[in-house]
Amino acid sequence: MHELYIAECIVKSVNSSLPRNVAPTLVTQVRVQVGQLDAVVPETLKFSFDAIKQSCGMPRAELLIKEIAVRCRCRDCAHEFGIDLPVFICPACNRGDVEVLQGRGITLTRIIADEPEGETHGNTSYS
Amino acid sequence: MEIPVIRDVLEESNALAKENRAAFDRHGVFVVNIMSSPGSGKTTLLQKTIPILKARGISCAVIEGDVSSTLDSERLAPLGIPVIQANTEPFGGDCHLGSHMVQAALKYLDLPSIEILFIENIGNLVCPAEFYLGENRKVMMLSLTEGEDKPTKYPLMFRECQVCLLSKMDLAPHLDINLDLLESNIQKVNSAMRILPISAKTGEGLMAWLDWLVNER
Repeated sequence: MHELYIAECIVKSVNSSLPRNVAPTLVTQVRVQVGQLDAVVPETLKFSFDAIKQSCGMPRAELLIKEIAVRCRCRDCAHEFGIDLPVFICPACNRGDVEVLQGRGITLTRIIADEPEGETHGNTSYS
Repeated sequence: MEIPVIRDVLEESNALAKENRAAFDRHGVFVVNIMSSPGSGKTTLLQKTIPILKARGISCAVIEGDVSSTLDSERLAPLGIPVIQANTEPFGGDCHLGSHMVQAALKYLDLPSIEILFIENIGNLVCPAEFYLGENRKVMMLSLTEGEDKPTKYPLMFRECQVCLLSKMDLAPHLDINLDLLESNIQKVNSAMRILPISAKTGEGLMAWLDWLVNER
């Protein structure tokens, strides 16, 4: 169950990506891409994120996960292909020296947050 | 407001792993991260491997990963080498060793006096494969009793490792396992993987494993 650890890493990434004037409490949506090769269960990752988001100061944040299919390139014949099953054999030349182009890794791609108070209209209220 | 970012979520974890690697390189320590399901024989392998390396004048140390207990490090204690127990329970009971835990363990090791450091990861065929710790090589172990289908079920582990030790070869005559099918399943996932059949009990394959270690170092 490495999803909990990954959820903690997502929170850290969000925190260090926020502009200085945007508090974590303003975050409403966090989007990540997860490679299919990563053996991450999206439902478990979402569950883990929801379990820690309150204590991590972003209680309103919703995690949206996009799974990225595995794509490979054959190092022998340069053919590019997608795979549904974990068979890393080039369908063009039947060799197995295959490089994974996408479908491995977890990437934070977008954060959606409410505008910081007083900055919606470009000025600061002192009242 | 939308804040577009393209950021590796494991960036911080990988940065710590790179720091670990820099420390290993600085002191010429060759680091092997050993991963497998629980009970496939990682500790037994170390019990057999380390005395031979010691006899060849190669100094070793072990970071022993477990969720809880010191049972495995107690098994390795008679080898008379530094063994650091890393339990994940205080870190939330993680099912894998993280680069931060390896970094914490390094405080207790005298790196200049170590030539090969083994990291015995937590028994788990899924999660440990995900995380870079700063090691030079990733080695996995699959015991014959686990079956031929494991490469297909746990592809990331088989993709990430350079060597697969097929352990408990002494059991082969008693099992229905099809070794050709197993090897072919491994090669479908990782054609470059070196497959080394081994039995810690009979000593079969130990020399090939030791030769690999010494050559890679």
